[in-house]
Amino acid sequence: MDRRIVFILVALAVIIPMLLSINLPVSVSEPTQKFYDYVESLPAGSTIMVAFDYGPSSLAELNPMAKALLKQCFDKDIRVIAITLVVDAPTLASALIQEVAAEKGAVDGEDYVFLGFRPGAVQVILGMGTDIASVYDTDYNGTAISEIPMMQDITNYDQIDLLVDFASSDTVESWIIYANVQYNQKIAAGVTGVIIAQMFPYLQTEQLVGLLSGILGAAEYENLVGAPDKGMQWINVESFVHLLIVGLVIIGNITYFIMRREE
Amino acid sequence: MDWNLIGIWVAAFLTLSIYSVLYRDNPFYRFAEHLFVGVSVGYGIVLSIYQGFIPFAWDPFVAAVTGESPTGFIKLIPIGIGLLFFARLSPRHTWLIRYPIAILIGFGAGIAIPNVLRANIFEQTRGTIAPFAEIAAGTLSGWGIFEAVLMVAGVICTLTYFFFAVEHRGPVKWLSKVGIAFLMIGFGSAFGNTVMGRVALLIQRVDFLLGDWLHIIQ
Amino acid sequence: MKRQVPLVLCFVFGIVMIFTQFSPHSFSQGIYEEVISWALIIGPFALVLATVTLIQTHTARIRRRTEHWQYSFVVFAGLIIMVLIGIPFKPQNSVFEWLYNNVQLPMDATMFSLLAFFIASAAYRAFRARTFEASLLLITALIVMMGNVPVGDLLSNDTASKARQWILDNPNLSARRGIILGVSLGVISQSIRIILGIERSYLGGGD
Repeated sequence: MDRRIVFILVALAVIIPMLLSINLPVSVSEPTQKFYDYVESLPAGSTIMVAFDYGPSSLAELNPMAKALLKQCFDKDIRVIAITLVVDAPTLASALIQEVAAEKGAVDGEDYVFLGFRPGAVQVILGMGTDIASVYDTDYNGTAISEIPMMQDITNYDQIDLLVDFASSDTVESWIIYANVQYNQKIAAGVTGVIIAQMFPYLQTEQLVGLLSGILGAAEYENLVGAPDKGMQWINVESFVHLLIVGLVIIGNITYFIMRREE
Repeated sequence: MDWNLIGIWVAAFLTLSIYSVLYRDNPFYRFAEHLFVGVSVGYGIVLSIYQGFIPFAWDPFVAAVTGESPTGFIKLIPIGIGLLFFARLSPRHTWLIRYPIAILIGFGAGIAIPNVLRANIFEQTRGTIAPFAEIAAGTLSGWGIFEAVLMVAGVICTLTYFFFAVEHRGPVKWLSKVGIAFLMIGFGSAFGNTVMGRVALLIQRVDFLLGDWLHIIQ
Repeated sequence: MKRQVPLVLCFVFGIVMIFTQFSPHSFSQGIYEEVISWALIIGPFALVLATVTLIQTHTARIRRRTEHWQYSFVVFAGLIIMVLIGIPFKPQNSVFEWLYNNVQLPMDATMFSLLAFFIASAAYRAFRARTFEASLLLITALIVMMGNVPVGDLLSNDTASKARQWILDNPNLSARRGIILGVSLGVISQSIRIILGIERSYLGGGD
């Protein structure tokens, strides 16, 4: 079979279910539930630091979960400090935060602040352990951190109740190795499909308090937050592509075994 | 002029240009591929200057020179060392970039040793043994005991596979074979999840084309 | 000067970082914070390396007229436009953001989504249960794939997602932990070798 036929089948497996807008129920896995419960357990006025450690190549998987978390935070009056360790993320992260803030009526500088990007992941993580202002003297738009109302009582990780890393690379490990070990910072993560499997040892040791796994994690979280959005839509479409790929693997193997027997 | 609408058409054109490679390599794909590289690096340069170079090097430099910060002159040393990266531009002086690289490498190595030890060796070992404390306390069920034993066996066998100081013969060979089986399950999990990730990226692009561009779906 | 000084710098910074982490004394903490701030200052300059390498690669392609050399001009055009708009008008500028949102972002997202097609094609052509190990990998991948989507639970009466979770929580965890332990021991021993000057590959070639 020409591989272009496989390509067409994949395209159809995405397009047709998308046009039909199918809705299957999504159950919630334990790591997602733990993540949600931890955020729910935080009282109003708590502070979460959200690291948008992904660029446009991973936004499909991580934007939906970041959006669901921000909605939950703004609904619960949890303050959000957003940052990124990834150079191609600031514009994307800034737009996403502003979109959710506008929807929820959150105020820049009071309910949330976006500090932007700083290069040198390990140095940035360690530097903020002493003093966030030593790394970020202004927010992304250039307002001095000393003039931002919500930053008045926040110096370092001691005032941050949870760090959430939305990640497409090894930044989760960096946060664990440096912020968790050095500063006892509680950490949860939302990650892309590629790195889900390697997160599980950290979940068992509670070095991660919760984990959102790719687009499935996003759908589960939207479900828990009660704000179904792209995550729920896309995981349903995803179903049909997975069925197709499983089918292709099975057909490929049957053909292989028949040919081997004939030889 | 509606720049939003133009933006959507530009994005759709570039998206389709890249997908055209699925049929075969062609000038549209090559154009998009090269434009992507240029624009990404350009974005990276601008962000690195505004969000890295200016706050970390330029501002402290100005503060030091103007005497705004009394101890600011100390910062001139790392700024000077950082400037040595520009030695890359002169073949005769390229060796000077070893200075800043050596400092960053030394810093990274020094900071890694105690933290990696605690996060990845001590904590992970503790996590492997911890269920046995529950077994001893009698709080783990039969199935939980099986899982705890399976975990220890899996970790030991996987480590044995990576242990090359001893020749893989006899019992070591069998342990490492079991290790390979665990690794295959690990890689299979990674593959299954990677499929989910890559397909999600495709779904997002189709969502853009059918929704934002063609308005066929909501 | 060319090799000894960098080795000494590497040793000093490495040792200082190790010891200051264990000493809570304010002098030691002062040094610790100062070294971190030095690393923060030096880090951004490394951008020069990546940019120079990219420019040299594409200049060489144009000069040598290698295959598709004309497209190197497209690389420069993209880079120069972003820099010319971004540097004077800052990254928060609306034209710069427009270019990011409508040029860079869609291409980046699309480029990586191509892998969905290639994975499907590879799964059909090459994913074979040839040996016991390959069969384990294949079966695990199929279970995880079905456990990752709601249709898997629909077809298996909720078994798929439970099986996926069990695999990730147990045998996958063991294998990953084995890898983490192995890699971390490697990182630590390599770091010690770097600090002691035994590992010098980062200095590059030459004298």
